[in-house]
Amino acid sequence: MAGRPDGGTTRSREAKSGFLKPWKLPAPFLLLLPTFIVLAAVVVIPLLLSLYSSFTPFRLTRPDTIWTFIGLRNYERLFTDWDFWVAFGRTVLLLTFALNLEMILGLGLAMLVEKATRGQRILRTIMMFPMMFSPVLVGFQFKFMFNDNVGLINNALQSLGLTDRAIPWLIDGTLAFIAILVAEIWSSTAVFAIFILAGLMAMPREPLEAARVDGCTPWQTFRYVTWPFVMPFAFIAMTIRSLDIARAYDIVKIMTDGGPAKRTEILWTLIARTGYSDARMGLANAMAYFAIFLSILFTVIFFRKLAQARSQIGAEW
Amino acid sequence: MNRLLSGASVGALALALSAATAAAQDLPGKFDGVTIDAKLIGGQQYEALYARIAEWQEATGATVNVVSKKNHFELDKEIKSDIATGTISWCVGSNHSSFAPQYPGIYADLAALLPQEEIDAFVPANIKASTLDGKLVMLPRAQFDVSALYYQKSLYEDEAKKAEFKEKYGYDLAPPDTWQEVSDQAKFFADPPQFYGTQFAGKEEAINGRFYEMVVAEGGEYLDAEGRPAFNSEAGVRALNWFVDLYKAKAVPAGTTNYLWDDLGQGFASGTVALNLDWPGWAGFFNDPESSKVAGNVGVKVQPKGSSGTRTGWSGHHGFSVTESCENKEAAASLVWWLTNEDSQKLEASAGPLPTRTAVWEWVVAEAEGDAYRQEVLKAFQQAAEHAFPVPQTPAWIEISNAVYPELQAAILGDKTAQQALDDAADEATMILEDAGEL
Amino acid sequence: MDINAAHSLKRAVLTAAHRIGLFLAMATICLPGLWIVLSSLRPTVEIMAKPPVWIPRELSFDAYVAMFSGVGQGGIPVLDYFRNSLIISVTSTVIALAIGMAGGYAFARYRFRWKTSIFLGFMLTRTVPGIALSLPLFFVYAKLGIIDTHFGLIMAYVALNVPFTVWLIDGFFRQVPKDLAEAAQIDGCTRWQAFWQVEFPLARPGIASAGIFAFLISWNEFALASQLTRSTNSKTLPVGLLDYTAEFTIDWRGMCALAVVMIVPALTLTFIVQKHLVSGLTSGAVKG
Repeated sequence: MAGRPDGGTTRSREAKSGFLKPWKLPAPFLLLLPTFIVLAAVVVIPLLLSLYSSFTPFRLTRPDTIWTFIGLRNYERLFTDWDFWVAFGRTVLLLTFALNLEMILGLGLAMLVEKATRGQRILRTIMMFPMMFSPVLVGFQFKFMFNDNVGLINNALQSLGLTDRAIPWLIDGTLAFIAILVAEIWSSTAVFAIFILAGLMAMPREPLEAARVDGCTPWQTFRYVTWPFVMPFAFIAMTIRSLDIARAYDIVKIMTDGGPAKRTEILWTLIARTGYSDARMGLANAMAYFAIFLSILFTVIFFRKLAQARSQIGAEW
Repeated sequence: MNRLLSGASVGALALALSAATAAAQDLPGKFDGVTIDAKLIGGQQYEALYARIAEWQEATGATVNVVSKKNHFELDKEIKSDIATGTISWCVGSNHSSFAPQYPGIYADLAALLPQEEIDAFVPANIKASTLDGKLVMLPRAQFDVSALYYQKSLYEDEAKKAEFKEKYGYDLAPPDTWQEVSDQAKFFADPPQFYGTQFAGKEEAINGRFYEMVVAEGGEYLDAEGRPAFNSEAGVRALNWFVDLYKAKAVPAGTTNYLWDDLGQGFASGTVALNLDWPGWAGFFNDPESSKVAGNVGVKVQPKGSSGTRTGWSGHHGFSVTESCENKEAAASLVWWLTNEDSQKLEASAGPLPTRTAVWEWVVAEAEGDAYRQEVLKAFQQAAEHAFPVPQTPAWIEISNAVYPELQAAILGDKTAQQALDDAADEATMILEDAGEL
Repeated sequence: MDINAAHSLKRAVLTAAHRIGLFLAMATICLPGLWIVLSSLRPTVEIMAKPPVWIPRELSFDAYVAMFSGVGQGGIPVLDYFRNSLIISVTSTVIALAIGMAGGYAFARYRFRWKTSIFLGFMLTRTVPGIALSLPLFFVYAKLGIIDTHFGLIMAYVALNVPFTVWLIDGFFRQVPKDLAEAAQIDGCTRWQAFWQVEFPLARPGIASAGIFAFLISWNEFALASQLTRSTNSKTLPVGLLDYTAEFTIDWRGMCALAVVMIVPALTLTFIVQKHLVSGLTSGAVKG
């Protein structure tokens, strides 16, 4: 990676600044070096290890098995494993629903907060409140709330006379999916809200004024002025969330652990059970590579959208 | 009892005299300057005991360094990680009878490290459940678990209900002694969503364990003599149908297939469940008005029997093990002995958990004099313990559980018939055992 | 006049709608949290009651007293956990920010080959789920002998947080016009001075929000912490939550109390730091 200072004709001053002269290595290389080192040590090396182990029948309880090479057998097995692909599909579904709903709700929330004239500090802090909750805690919390017999939700619905049944929230496949979605959205919408809020606040006032003077309706103003400006922020949040959504594992693990009868099984619960409880780490790592591939796909999609959005409002953004 | 003990000690004495080794050491012994790394199970119920470690350090001159303290599932993960990376650098580890078969190789035979009379002082069934391939891999602490039947007493005192029940089912309404009676009564008492007849743990090892003990009570086998899955027999189908039937009849909460032990305990304490097969750890909780609505109304009875006349009795216990790689096994064994000796067991058992030493059983029963509820609890659990049996001793038990329980759930929820679900589960379990090289 | 009246009426309706919407949103966010706070103060018999007890009949601090009353008496080593959590989260956040500032600055201000690929590569390291990373990482750490140390967990969290501190800070540096720094350099500042005196203050809200994120993620992280920590040497609060679960029982009230102990400092810190989030963002001067 040979660094080259921004030496275009209009920015020749930078090259002349002398900042680079004392260094032999190019500045961007030096600046990026710490990032490289940390990521290599903590992520890349372990990942190579796990990549290797996905070609072995590695069992935790029998360490010698790591030296048996079985090629692609783990992967072949997964390709023909229907349960695995169901879990895979469900994970995609969960990601799609969760991310889109979180973005819409986050946008709404950010706009509500931005419009408030008083108590901004408090409102912003409250907005971030769910981020203070460890996912483990969120899992327990929503598991108890959605308990069919003594849970808060059914108690409330029954007290209000909306139902006289005990709704089996965590049993029925669809309801359980919704329950998990609710927990996930509750805990993560704040991420979108805070980014979009930052975007709204960084937004210049002039275009808004201009739109008002031109007689735009609020919807038009939003659609053609606010949204294009805020969109890159939303996509940053989206990308970060899609990277991060494996955190939902903690929540799902505690709320249903993929059950009952695999109705809410997602990739991460499957991986964790196979890897640790069943001790079949080789197979689990093969699954993990599918999961990583999936996140990469989502991330690249959002990253491209982000680049597009950025180029729409000017390359220099 | 005394006769047995003295006989054993004479034997041990003779052995010690002839061998003149440290085997008959005066426990706890002297180990100046030795440091023992220990991995202990954490959680309030287990911690009180660890205060006694300080006394052991004083008595022996050794130091204990607690390198890890976590709940059992996390500890299991950790031990597996240690095995995988070859970093078993600790000496003493908490162990559990259900997890122990997964890692038999790493623990030393305690029978060779401790005098026989000390081992004989434990309840023989517990020692048997702690022995794998002839090796005593752990010494049980006073954390023995077997389930008995908790019930709401008031339900059995209502004359109108009694008459109605008699008319409907043809026998007197009394706390049940068979699983068939439990089923009848559960349906009779149920009034969803306000009140349920009973409930059961519905996922993970929990439902598989409940199913396992039911198979045994129905006269079947989970694994046959050769270690092949045999639970898809007629007895197995009968056992599974007991759960299916109650679920269909709405006699159990609709969420039961997602319940684990904590949900069950909270459910019974909320007063919305009539009958509850549960662990001894909840006895105090259920009768404490601070935590339970049914306080003062709780009855406890030995667990019911199945159609074969055998009672259910899936059990487990916590214990401590010494690793093979430990440098100072005598000191480690002494610590394990200390944590499971009479005084330690008395300390733990006085807070509610069940002991595993015969003498301490007698002591807790005597202590409960004047406390009718505590006596009832102990009587029931002492009986329950007589019928207790551990899980099949295969390293693949947890893995089989993980493969079987989704199938059990599928049958309970009506996605599959019992036979179909069990056949599928048996196929998967067979594959697991073949993969593991056990078949 | 009529138009004015209609206008002000419309305005009043909008304001009211906004207030109601805001109230509902905030209530939805707060209720589950308040339920936890309430649960920590009520006896279990009321929490899991049926019929439900909506208005608490008695509140007590028993769970908090028990928590601090020492191991063996129903307590947990909460002070140790707290200390570990604080050291690990703060240190890893500071390091992640420093590295992120260097990286973000490089991306925002320099052109070099494969820039986009490198950037994307950094981000993608984040796609590895903690559960897939935990064992191989444990492997490496076990060989290095840094299991159950502050250092090990700090390293892990720095790596976890660096991709998006780089990203966020990059975005905010891009927003700071280049001309400003260049102008400062013409005025005789070195590039280093120009960075600290001109660009850094303007990018501060971005750095603050990256900091909040990094801190909250480290503070709440569970999957890696549960694998890499073992004893009171390094166990953090989220792992400590599981001290309230035993094999068959769970002390929900105690867990809630610990959760409150966890949330209060995070909330306080957010409240303080979010001020900086505002200060640099006033009136969009940056873009002007």
